[in-house]
Amino acid sequence: MRRTLAVLLLLTACSTPAPPRSAAPSPRPPEPATLAAPTGEHPVGTTVLHLTDASRPDPWNLDAKARELRVTLWYPSGRGEGGRAAYMSPRESELTLAGSRAASVPPDILSRTVVHATTDAPAKGRFPLVVLSPGFTKPVSSLTSLAEDLASRGYVVAGVDHTYESPATTLADGAVAECLACDSDTDPGFGTGVVANRAADVSFVLDELLAGKPALIDPTRIAMAGHSIGGASALAAMAADKRVDAGVNLDGTTYARLPRGLARPVLFVGTPEHAPGGRDPSWDRDWTLLTGWKRWLVVTGADHQSFTDLPQLQGALDLKPPPGAPSAARLAEITRAYVAAFLDEHLKSRPQPLWKGPSARYPEVELGS
Amino acid sequence: MTRAVAAGLLLLLAVACTTPEPPRAEAGAPENAACAPPQGPPGERLPTTIDVVEQAYFCILGGYYRAPAMDHRDLLVAGFAALTRAMPEAPLSLPALTGDRRADWAAFEAAYRKTTDREDLAVVTLEAMVAALDDNHARWAHGPDRPPGYYDGDGYGLGLQVSGDDPVFVSVVEGGAAREAGLRPGDVVENADDPELLRPRYPDARPVELRLRRGDRRWSVTLTPGLYPRDWATLRTVQARLVDDAVYVRVRGFSPDAANRVFRSIDRLRAGRSVSGIVLDLRGNGGGSPLEATRLVSAFVHGKVTSYLCRADDRCEPGQTDDTVPLVGLPVVVLVDRGCASACEHFSSAVKDHRAGTLVGTRTAGLISGPAQPFLLRDNTVLSFPTRRHLGPDREIVDRIGVAPDHFVPPTPEDAAAGHDAALAKALTLLDG
Repeated sequence: MRRTLAVLLLLTACSTPAPPRSAAPSPRPPEPATLAAPTGEHPVGTTVLHLTDASRPDPWNLDAKARELRVTLWYPSGRGEGGRAAYMSPRESELTLAGSRAASVPPDILSRTVVHATTDAPAKGRFPLVVLSPGFTKPVSSLTSLAEDLASRGYVVAGVDHTYESPATTLADGAVAECLACDSDTDPGFGTGVVANRAADVSFVLDELLAGKPALIDPTRIAMAGHSIGGASALAAMAADKRVDAGVNLDGTTYARLPRGLARPVLFVGTPEHAPGGRDPSWDRDWTLLTGWKRWLVVTGADHQSFTDLPQLQGALDLKPPPGAPSAARLAEITRAYVAAFLDEHLKSRPQPLWKGPSARYPEVELGS
Repeated sequence: MTRAVAAGLLLLLAVACTTPEPPRAEAGAPENAACAPPQGPPGERLPTTIDVVEQAYFCILGGYYRAPAMDHRDLLVAGFAALTRAMPEAPLSLPALTGDRRADWAAFEAAYRKTTDREDLAVVTLEAMVAALDDNHARWAHGPDRPPGYYDGDGYGLGLQVSGDDPVFVSVVEGGAAREAGLRPGDVVENADDPELLRPRYPDARPVELRLRRGDRRWSVTLTPGLYPRDWATLRTVQARLVDDAVYVRVRGFSPDAANRVFRSIDRLRAGRSVSGIVLDLRGNGGGSPLEATRLVSAFVHGKVTSYLCRADDRCEPGQTDDTVPLVGLPVVVLVDRGCASACEHFSSAVKDHRAGTLVGTRTAGLISGPAQPFLLRDNTVLSFPTRRHLGPDREIVDRIGVAPDHFVPPTPEDAAAGHDAALAKALTLLDG
């Protein structure tokens, strides 16, 4: 978890957000990013749901008697309909960049990021569901590149913004929830508490999404994937909720107590620091408790943010990629390919050659176990 | 009670320090017995030998604030006594001690080496020496401090917290054996003669029999210490909400960012509304960073001394408020109890002496000998002790005495059972009036 913060390039929400500096005139103002195009056969629609769990108070805002969540859905849709979606609002962009290393770029630049999903697009068909959970201090939009790709390949993706755990979440009434959790990450039991809370968020989101038997979602095929503590939360959600059939952890130190013999499929995708026997013992601990299909991948040259949108946004934010890192396009390709292969294998029962052994196409990926 | 509270606090205290200054060179200390603050994460644990005990002995004599006024033979006697208890069969007797620190160590070491080279006996000896300081901020961290199967945030013990002196009663059921046995807040522990038994620390796993009373019902349970998950909401260092018209902030420890977290909470909750004041709930706050305590004081008073840190010869350095911290400008009531220790007492004594706020509750722990400074020993364990003693702003000794509240509102089993917080109610009354 701390490492998450240490390597954080984009968001430093844990310090008091400084007012955006009036940027020194830069010779060439950075252009907004365009995310890699989705690779699947379906066009992608997107919509935002505001859900309120009245059964529990908000864990961060002690004056809120209910937990409000914003869920972004990405889904396979009909072609050419609706307007292009926004990556985030200008206000969210400003709050996200405030106090970060990218503070000298135009504060709305993230809101101008070009995505591929469209709004108001009609849903077509019935698909497995994948819940996405972002890293700590990150909005779920930080996983848009992966979300759009999965939707284009035939998944309904439900990205959860865990309110008060990132600098800007616009709620149903238009108010923007700030990050009340961001200064808590050194508290004892922090990680354990966050993943338990996120598991509760996800169970509630599943209740809501599956209520009324929507035509779009196949309720018997559900997976969860997440980055950093969002990946740790995928394991916590699997332990807490049997509806979650499979889980993907993108480089997240894990915190939840797993039941001995958790027999559902799990994919670990790590940086070299998360290699077996590495500095973080949590994956080694959990590995022995997992008794179902499991794979542990290590991506050479990757850093903690490699599996998010950040590599694709670095140019727009005037940030340099870490030395020796694969290109942004390559990182997106690897992340998308392996997560999709895992989901295709387990939610669609389509055997994937990628799991047979080291791939000549992806020599950066070591198939650890 | 006091000692038991200390046990729970020490981990926090050990990391609570500003950069320590190394002990002054001890005249006549062997070259290899110097000790210095740890740099970075500790290395691999090495065997504790008599040479490590020697290093600790000279480290204490060179740096411990009371050492100049101390007879070093007390340390040697304590260590040797522990050795005799650990080896009842050995024909041990303490050699003559002359009053020279170095010569007396040599005599002690020779007697030790003649008897044993067992590592566990060096451990017993050093533990006894540190205990002989009888200082709530002196500690030798050397054991496995985490049980197998530990997850971040877990508790170890019986799964309960107790309050009160007469009677002692369950104030919080955290989980574990206490929850399994159906204990509830307000249950009176009738055989709590030694409350330390209610707070076993790993690896102590001996079952504890409790005779309990709830109303007219009396019964006994046997609880076995163990590892248990705790509710994360009860672990968060800073939590804030509105209570009536007041901003209520609970601060469970002075972690490195605690003061700023309190300030942000107050700013957020008072924004756009009129509030009657601040309730700072420091009950159970085991301390932490003196810098954070000073910064928090500085939100309520400027231009004052918050504490003195003094050497044995009464050379004292005043710790001033940090007047760059903006004043909150609202009345503050501070809730204190016997669990408020160390940096918490630094804060409470400063608020009280300068009348910067009102203290409500019970007397604080009296566990504030001085800020503990860590020193790395050659077996990669850490010995910590105060190099200076703490005094309050009026140069009063707070250690062992504690800080008395302005309004004495003790916890009772009836209130605990009913979930009624009399101290908070009093605080709100004071802010309204």
